[in-house]
Order: sequence, then C-alpha cells, then structure tokens
Amino acid sequence: MATEITLAPDLWDATVNPEGIVANWFFQEGASVGKGATVAEIMVEKTTIDIVAPAAGRLHISVAKDGVVKPGAVIGTIEEG
Amino acid sequence: MSSNRIMTVSRAISEAIAQEMRADPRVFVMGEDIAKYGGIFGSTAGLLAEFGEERVRDTPISETGFIGAGVGAAMSGMRPIVELMFVDFFGVCMDSIYNLAAKNIYFSGGHYKVPMVIMTATGGGYSDAGQHSQTLHATFAHLPGLKVVAPSNAYDAKGLMISAIRDDSPVVFMFHKGLQGLAWMASPEAAATELPEEAYTVPFGEAKVVRPGKDVTIVTLSMMVHRALEAAKALEKEGIDAEVIDLRTLVPLDRKTVIQSVAKTGRLVVVDEDYKSFGLTAEILASVVEEDPAYLKAAPRRLAVPDVPIPYSRPMEQFVLPDAETIAAAVRGTLGKAREAA
Amino acid sequence: MPTKSQFLWMYEMMEKARYYEDTMAAAYMEGKTPKFDIGAGPVPGEMHLAAGQEPCAAGVCVHLRKDDAVTATHRPHHVAIAKGVDLKKMTAEIYGKESGLAGGRGGHMHLLDPEVNFSCSGIIAQGTSPAVGAALAARMNGKDAVAVSYLGEGAANQGGFHEAMNLAALWKLPVIFVIEDNGWGISVPKSKSTSVADNSVRAAGYGIPGFHVADNDTLALFEVAGEAVARARRGEGPTLIEVETYRFYGHFQGDPELYRPKNEVAELKARDPIRRLRETMIAGGSVTEAEADEVLARAKAEVDEAFAFARAAAYPAPEEALRHVFA
Repeated sequence: MATEITLAPDLWDATVNPEGIVANWFFQEGASVGKGATVAEIMVEKTTIDIVAPAAGRLHISVAKDGVVKPGAVIGTIEEG
Repeated sequence: MSSNRIMTVSRAISEAIAQEMRADPRVFVMGEDIAKYGGIFGSTAGLLAEFGEERVRDTPISETGFIGAGVGAAMSGMRPIVELMFVDFFGVCMDSIYNLAAKNIYFSGGHYKVPMVIMTATGGGYSDAGQHSQTLHATFAHLPGLKVVAPSNAYDAKGLMISAIRDDSPVVFMFHKGLQGLAWMASPEAAATELPEEAYTVPFGEAKVVRPGKDVTIVTLSMMVHRALEAAKALEKEGIDAEVIDLRTLVPLDRKTVIQSVAKTGRLVVVDEDYKSFGLTAEILASVVEEDPAYLKAAPRRLAVPDVPIPYSRPMEQFVLPDAETIAAAVRGTLGKAREAA
Repeated sequence: MPTKSQFLWMYEMMEKARYYEDTMAAAYMEGKTPKFDIGAGPVPGEMHLAAGQEPCAAGVCVHLRKDDAVTATHRPHHVAIAKGVDLKKMTAEIYGKESGLAGGRGGHMHLLDPEVNFSCSGIIAQGTSPAVGAALAARMNGKDAVAVSYLGEGAANQGGFHEAMNLAALWKLPVIFVIEDNGWGISVPKSKSTSVADNSVRAAGYGIPGFHVADNDTLALFEVAGEAVARARRGEGPTLIEVETYRFYGHFQGDPELYRPKNEVAELKARDPIRRLRETMIAGGSVTEAEADEVLARAKAEVDEAFAFARAAAYPAPEEALRHVFA
C-alpha cells in the first residue's frame, strides 16, 4: 500500500504566496524511512516548513528539489511493507 | 533505518548540539536570535523547544558581554556554546575572544579550563558586502590559544562540533553560510551528506584527502573544497590528476598530510576564501618549504581574496573570490605555462 | 509648531522614503520567486527596509544643515533620503552599479556621501563614536555644526554606544543620539534585551538630557529634536532621544517573522505616521490637499526616476574591485 506525502491545504497562506518550492529532500529516492522522520523541507518566500513521513516504508520522490508546489500538492509517496 | 538520511550542515550542527545537551547538563547556548529564531543560519533550530530558555538563551546585542560571560561560565565549570552571528562582528568583542578565552588557560598555568565553543558564520558570494562576507580564518588561527575548525560538509560538521563541545579549550567553530543547506541560500549539493544518528567525533588536526591524485596537490577547506573538487573534475578531462585535501581544522593544522601529498605530487596549489597576505595560503607554503624545498617541482600557487574588502556588487565580488576556473588555471600554471594557456 | 515649509518638507521626505522602500521591496523580490535565493536578482544580499520609521528621519533632519554630520544604521534609506543623499547614486549603489555612490563596492548597508556628510554601517551601534568624532571636528574647527547618530533600540545595549555617550557628555560635544525603537532586535523584543523599558532614562547616567517620544509622533519629535539641535549648536552638549517607532517590514526582506504577533503590523499600519502628519497639517489649515498631493507626486516621480537610472546603469568592470582600498 502506498501513502501519499501530501502538503496540507493550509500549510501556508496561498493568497499571499501562491507557490512554494521543495527546498530539500533528506532522503534519496528509494530510501527506507521511518514514520515521522523529517523527509523534506518546503520553502515559501524565506520561511521553511519541515515535512514528515506519514508512514514507514520506501520513499518515492515525485517533486524533485527546487520543484514548485502549491498547498495540497503530493510531493511523493511511501510504499509500505 | 535512518543512517541513510542526507542532512544539511545546519541540521547536522543543531543535531550535534542537541545530542551533547542531552548528554551533559553543563552544555548551554547563548547568542543573538538563537532561541525562537533558531539562529539566523539555522544552527540552533529546534533547541529552544526541547531545552527551554534557561539553556537556550537569546542575548541582547552585546557581544563583548555575552562572549565574556561565556568565558567566565566556562571557567566556572559550564560548557557554553556562544554564537557570534557573523564572524565579521568580531570587531566589537575581540577582547573577550583573544585576551580572555584564548589566554586564561595559559595565564593559570593550565589550572583553569576554558571549555567553550564560539560558533560563527563565515563566507560570501551572495552580495552581502564587506561587513557580512568575510571568512577571517587566519585572524583567529593566528592567535595562540584558540582551536579553529571550518567544516566543508554535514558529516564533518557534526563530528567536529561534538569534538568542540567536549574539548577543554576554546574552539572557534566557523561554518560557511553557503554550505549550510539553507533553503534561501545556494549551497553545493555535496555539502549535505549521509549523517549517522548517533553522536560521533571527528578529531581535530586530521586533514582528509577528499580526492586522491598524483599530479598536483590542492590544499583548501570549507567552501573552497567544493570549488576545488569541481576544478579537479574539469582537469581530469585534460588528463590532470589532482589530489584535493580538506584541512577541516586550521588549529591544530595537519601539516603532515599536506607534506606527504606534496612529496608525492611535487606541485602545490593552496586555496582560501580569506584574504591572501599573511594568511593560510602562506602558512601552508611555508610548512612545505620548511620541511624540504626539494619536494616542489614547480613554483607553488596561492588563490585567495586579493587583499581588498569583499565588494558588494556581483561582478566585483565574483572576481575576488576563487572559483573552479581560477583554481584550474592555477593548477595548469604549476604544470607549465603551455598548459596554463590551454 | 513647524512652519508651512517645514511641514511640507517633512511630509515630502516621509512620502519619498515610504515610496522608496515599497519600490525597493518589489525590486528586491525580482528573481527571488518562487525560489527565494538571497544572492539572486537585480538587488541581492540582505535588505533592511525602514517603512514606518520615517518620522525618525524627517523629524530630526528637518533641523539639520548640509554641514551637519549624520551616521545611520544598517537600515539607512529613510535617513539618507532626509539628509539629502543623491537618490540616483544611492539607488545605483544598491543595484551594484558603477555610477553608485561607491561604484558598487558598498551596497545598501554602506552608503557614504561626503557631499551631505552622511555615512552608515552594518555593525550595530558603531555609528555612535564616529558622530562624536564629527562633533569634535566641528568644534575644533570653530564651527557650530552638529552630529546626529542614529541607532536602534537593540544597539543601545552595545558597549560602544555607552562609551560614545560618555565621551560626548564629558567633552560637551554637539551630538544628538537618536534611538529608533521599533521594538525588535531582529527577533528579540525590547523586553527581552533591555533592562529598562525606556532608554531615555540612560541619559541620566551620563548627566545629559534624555527624551522619550511616544507612538511615532512626528510633531513631538520635531519639537524635541529642534531643542536638542539648538542646544548643541549653542555649545550646551549632547542629548539622547528615544523614538517609539514602527517596523512595517521584517528585519530583512524575506524574514519569516514567526516570532512576531500576527496582528502587530496591521495595528501599526492603522496608525500610519505619514497619514497622521498629512491629516494634521491639512486640518491645521496651513497646507491644502492640493499642495500635499503635489508634494506626493513629486516625491514619487523622483523615486521612479532614481530606480530607472539605477536599472539602466552599467555594472562595474570586475577588476574595479581592486581600486580604492587606499586614498
């Protein structure tokens, strides 16, 4: 089963800044990660927000570093088991 | 499970501090904007939430006061980490650093310990001008009594920070802003590394050969390690095999690794983001020549900021900072003029 | 009370400074969205804007002459404008251009203009002693020029400031120390950095007069500063003034300001000092709406012209970096 890594729709105020970017991934594609591990960092203007793994499993990155994202975006998945 | 993490330098530093704070109640942190803000360059992010205001202390803009207080606390059995926000700000507080922190062990005949870490941000390249862009490696390394470290990547940053906190002497921990992996400042990809979860140390005085080679030795540290590696990669295509040495610490300085390398290659280029005259580049050259001038098959080269304040405007700043191209040209120079022109 | 021309001058400087900062805020973000890279865009590096702090500049500089010296802070634009620094050259400097004040060597925190006796520094409180020196030079040369040193409330905890106050008091020099208290030293509120609520009480420690100006009030500052400058010119020594002012933007552009109460800026903007000054001078009958509008239009045109000049200007040759280390 795969769990999506979804940015919360209210992660930042999109009326002020419609877009953010994926500033960092802290694991490589295919790495196994623990639930709750900080996997990525989103930057909106100069504010950064840590993104944690919603489940344990194998990480698949769908928005690479420096990719542009909006609130609610899926930036990756975690393949469980 | 998590040793496959690729962590940034700023996160490596804050993790190192947190682990030592958990292990040792004597460790605490003071500085400007280090608590709620988490440090302007992220080196203390998350510490306030875990350890509270007593051990993670925002200070007034009073560097002489709080760095001097760090010296007194260290002499009284604590292990303070104080942050000087930009190394350039040393001007307002140097007495606390070089007349107190650096000398009180000596003045007590070794009876006092001064186990403090002065953590500070260095480096330019992003147009912050002459009061916010210096590295000043040699300014601190020149003064007896201060250990000085300047990591180039996250693994070394964590290990060197833990060594610094556990050291009984004052350590100036110089992190380069452009290596921190901050989302808002460009950083070389290789600065972020796999980072073990557990606490570990990287010993002082042990340089690392980050790229073995046989034709020429490039000695450098901090940000310039990445520029040198980039140059080495370009030179490889020309059939030049460069060895790159990351000094990691200026004091103590691992002269042995440098000399062994030059004995092998016979050619030396030293690269530093600090000012050129009276600095690290000259120190490295002198160390080799004092050992045996015959090691050198060609005149050595030095690359550093050409004795001018760091200019603000981009074309001028990029001109004074060494980069992969100027490093590669210097390497070609040691191999004969024909190749320099190539 | 200010004369009509003083009213209009202060209003013009404040509108010019505000429009300058707002224009700069937009220029600074060019090349920095959606990815904020501090080194990118036509205006790279740190950027500290002073929108909201205009009264501190206008209410003091209205009393100054060209030969009076001013030292400002890392947040210098509003004061530079009120002191009469050439707007085109200043803007070109901030764009890193050859025709800038220093040919691009200094940038936004290092604006130095001997034409109008203005300088600033990015190091906190370090303009205080040079102001003492400027005042000393004026007196040694037999002139009645004064020196004004600006600093933030955070800087009032630097040793250098206290040494400068003692020197100025001891030698009875014509210095006016103006503390712009915007409430925040980056993320640290005044209550967490300063042992007294009001820095003007610190004047007593040096035996000099100290004044507190509440709520960013341009006219109250006008009166206090006028007195202080007159006293300094008469050879009666220094004065310390603390002005409670507003910081509308972050410490620097891109500051996430996670430390700041959510409504603070909106509440401060509701008490905009420029609008208050405009309303007062028009209600008082000395200035008409049309006259104020004309001043505003002129101020904006001058700023637009300065930015156009800076954008069009050429970058310096890289080797220019090597010049002007020595005189």
